[in-house]
Amino acid sequence: MAGGTFGRALVVDVEVGAGEVVPLPEHVQRSYLGGVGLGTWLLHELSDPAVDPLDPAAVLAFVFSPLVGTPLTTSAKFAVVARSPLTGMLTDALASSHFAIAGKLTGHDAIAVRGRCPRPSVLLVDGDGPRLIDATDVWGRSAADTEAALAQRLGTGWRTAAIGPAGERGVRYATVSHDGRHAGRGGLGAVLGAKNLKAVAVRAATKVAPADPAGVLTAARDLRARSFGPATAKYRELGTLSNLLAFNAINTLPTRNFATASFDDAPALAAEELHELRQVARNSCASCAIGCEHIYATGRGGGARVEYENVYALGPLCGVSDPDAVLAASARCDELGIDTISAGGTIAWAMSCAEAGLLDAPWLRFGDGAALLRALDELAAGTGIGPLLAEGSARAAAQLGGEAPALTVTVKGLELPGYDPRTLPAMALGLAVNARGADHNRSGAYEADLGGELDRFAPGDAHVAAAIETEDRAAVIDSMILCRFLRGVFEEPFDEWAELLALVTGWDLDGAELRATARRIVLAKRMFNLRAGWTPADDGLPRRLFDTPLTLPSGRTAALDRERLTAMIASYHRARGLDADGRPSPEAYADLHLRAPLPDAAPVP
Amino acid sequence: MGIVLVGGRSSRMGAPKASLDWHGVTLLQRTVGILARAVDGGVLAVRAPGQPLPDLLDDVTVVDDDEEGLGPMQGLAVGLAAADGAEVAFVCSTDLPFLHPAFVRRVLAAFTVDTDAVVPHAHGHRQPLAAGYRTALAPTVTGLLAAGARKPAMVLEACRTRWLEEDDLLADPALAAVDPHLDSVRNINVPEEYEAALAVPLPTVTIERFGTLARGDEHRGIEVAAATLGAAADAAGVVLDQHVVAALNGERITRDPTVPLVAGDRVAFISADAGG
Repeated sequence: MAGGTFGRALVVDVEVGAGEVVPLPEHVQRSYLGGVGLGTWLLHELSDPAVDPLDPAAVLAFVFSPLVGTPLTTSAKFAVVARSPLTGMLTDALASSHFAIAGKLTGHDAIAVRGRCPRPSVLLVDGDGPRLIDATDVWGRSAADTEAALAQRLGTGWRTAAIGPAGERGVRYATVSHDGRHAGRGGLGAVLGAKNLKAVAVRAATKVAPADPAGVLTAARDLRARSFGPATAKYRELGTLSNLLAFNAINTLPTRNFATASFDDAPALAAEELHELRQVARNSCASCAIGCEHIYATGRGGGARVEYENVYALGPLCGVSDPDAVLAASARCDELGIDTISAGGTIAWAMSCAEAGLLDAPWLRFGDGAALLRALDELAAGTGIGPLLAEGSARAAAQLGGEAPALTVTVKGLELPGYDPRTLPAMALGLAVNARGADHNRSGAYEADLGGELDRFAPGDAHVAAAIETEDRAAVIDSMILCRFLRGVFEEPFDEWAELLALVTGWDLDGAELRATARRIVLAKRMFNLRAGWTPADDGLPRRLFDTPLTLPSGRTAALDRERLTAMIASYHRARGLDADGRPSPEAYADLHLRAPLPDAAPVP
Repeated sequence: MGIVLVGGRSSRMGAPKASLDWHGVTLLQRTVGILARAVDGGVLAVRAPGQPLPDLLDDVTVVDDDEEGLGPMQGLAVGLAAADGAEVAFVCSTDLPFLHPAFVRRVLAAFTVDTDAVVPHAHGHRQPLAAGYRTALAPTVTGLLAAGARKPAMVLEACRTRWLEEDDLLADPALAAVDPHLDSVRNINVPEEYEAALAVPLPTVTIERFGTLARGDEHRGIEVAAATLGAAADAAGVVLDQHVVAALNGERITRDPTVPLVAGDRVAFISADAGG
């Protein structure tokens, strides 16, 4: 068995509270590592991708990795993987800290759940196996309150991942969170909620050693030292919110539901302005030397974790410049347990609809912080437009009909993050083709657009190659798992990651093998989607982005060219070894080690 | 497309103009850099046989003009013929240190379907070496050369030329704001003109620093005098290493210190790591 792993997953049927240990063959572990990679393989093996994500038969997996529990900085991370109720595709979100360590040290590389609890429950897993306890007392409470209540009830050593009220109510972009950090995208919280599962609590029961403990310790010291360098300074000093003014200056800050890509009032929300005035704390995940979390005072006596994405989505995207309103909205999203990007994206879409007379909510206006908070209140209460917003913008638009779908800005039903594809052509491709949908973590192609080497306004083959390279890097770093904020400290990532993994697992790895691993993980995700009904039409960007060119301050027009993007997508598919229907060669499919046969091409709808 | 005609003996200057220093870069780097900022489709540099050139970026295409002694008209023919894929090109000589991208854009914007060349008439002279040409003119120019013509003016008589007077040029508010005296066409031929040009105050540009590059209110823009991105970085106290990039007027992202700056530019220094 590989060092740093247990070679097994625990699969719990929460309907009866019974668990089954599923062996993880070493060749599978080596092929998928852990995290999102292993999670993808598990979903293929344990579930039918065609099953509705909110059906009791659906599977959700918490997946750890070989590096969890080592002293390597930022390694205390876990993936949550399931079919998304928002997109119908695979979704794989990461969160961090003690839950990862305690969860793995239950003696399992993954904990998967299926079924539906007869009543609101908490799943406990430790050395005594899985069991359910009643969750009636915490049902309806926030994830943070739930964690606190369970810590008191269960005693020391237990670590909890929980959902908020939104997950219980099936909001399709509800999160799973631990210690204030969310596995945020794709509605994983709704999947747990549909299982009547308020939380999963884990307690360490065993230990696991790396193959080369001394080597790991030396590597950890080196990595820790490097993590204090300039590559992570941005995250330490101001956090990701420091993107806001920079992105505004380079016309890539989506504003007012993508009507523009710059926001005149951006300075009011900028880290550079708010840091001195509002920061009340900094925090780190377990086993992290970076410390990227910046907590700001909300102005209402509370605090909110501030990230670029939540401020973007609840601020400029909704045209709101009042920091009190934006921070309060962010805190409200945390209380409800919802993804801030999809929340802001859905509300911004609703604002466009209200503006166009497509939605009977005349109070819902761009720039109105009170309206933003009211929309969240209605979402929380299930009143007014709340039930519509709970569906996410794509499904809500389909309900409204008419021109409402043309106002959505989603890929595969997932709302776009704060990287405007009209001025980031490599990222445009990355967003269009990624398995999870419009996502900035599984595709980091913006790095190429903003690295100074590629032309931001003349996409070509180099942009396609860059999108593939960053997607491959993400596939590995999210499977090892290390924090993406650490990626800048690696000069030869695949080679250096192979060395770290070799020290932990004992495998004779090199960078070339990890590159093959990356391609395998990306392909496995796509195959899950194909089995779930993906068609080539799902790889693309929304109409609104083509219909709304940007006029830059110089007078230049930045517009997406549909033909060019189509050509780039085709080039991407070829480079990934896929045919026109998105299917790989039989040899490539066999390399995925899946029991399910190569799926037929999905019928064109 | 932009075409710089680098050939010529620079006999009155007494030294190759292309290699003259211009505030830390060569004059050719300056002119090529300005064109690269203003045009789509890249820049060609047309040189005489064996003519040594100062270092240029990889994306500048150097074209050899095999015929010597036929003057700029020969360079024009070679450049237009080499400008594959472009319909029109802005063609200029090396020695225009005050050329502004807004001037180039103004000239190119004046093309219509009935126009083969757009030529400014400024500072009392026609400016065929700071002008726009349809690339389809290449055979015409070659034919005129074969017939013994040597002056670009003869090309202009043989095609549909639109003349842009100073008032026409300055009717463009973008150009009028940044080059009100049309110094874009001011060339240098002798050492005295070169020295006088060097003495002109450097362009005023606005620099902004964001994120960890800013201290206090440094993210708010300040004005500095700088002819290149490298000089602006020095003024900002920013090192253009792998952790930093510069955004020029919110559009081009680069860390090339030789990128030329002009009056009115806005340079934002940001973290190269855009993760969020």
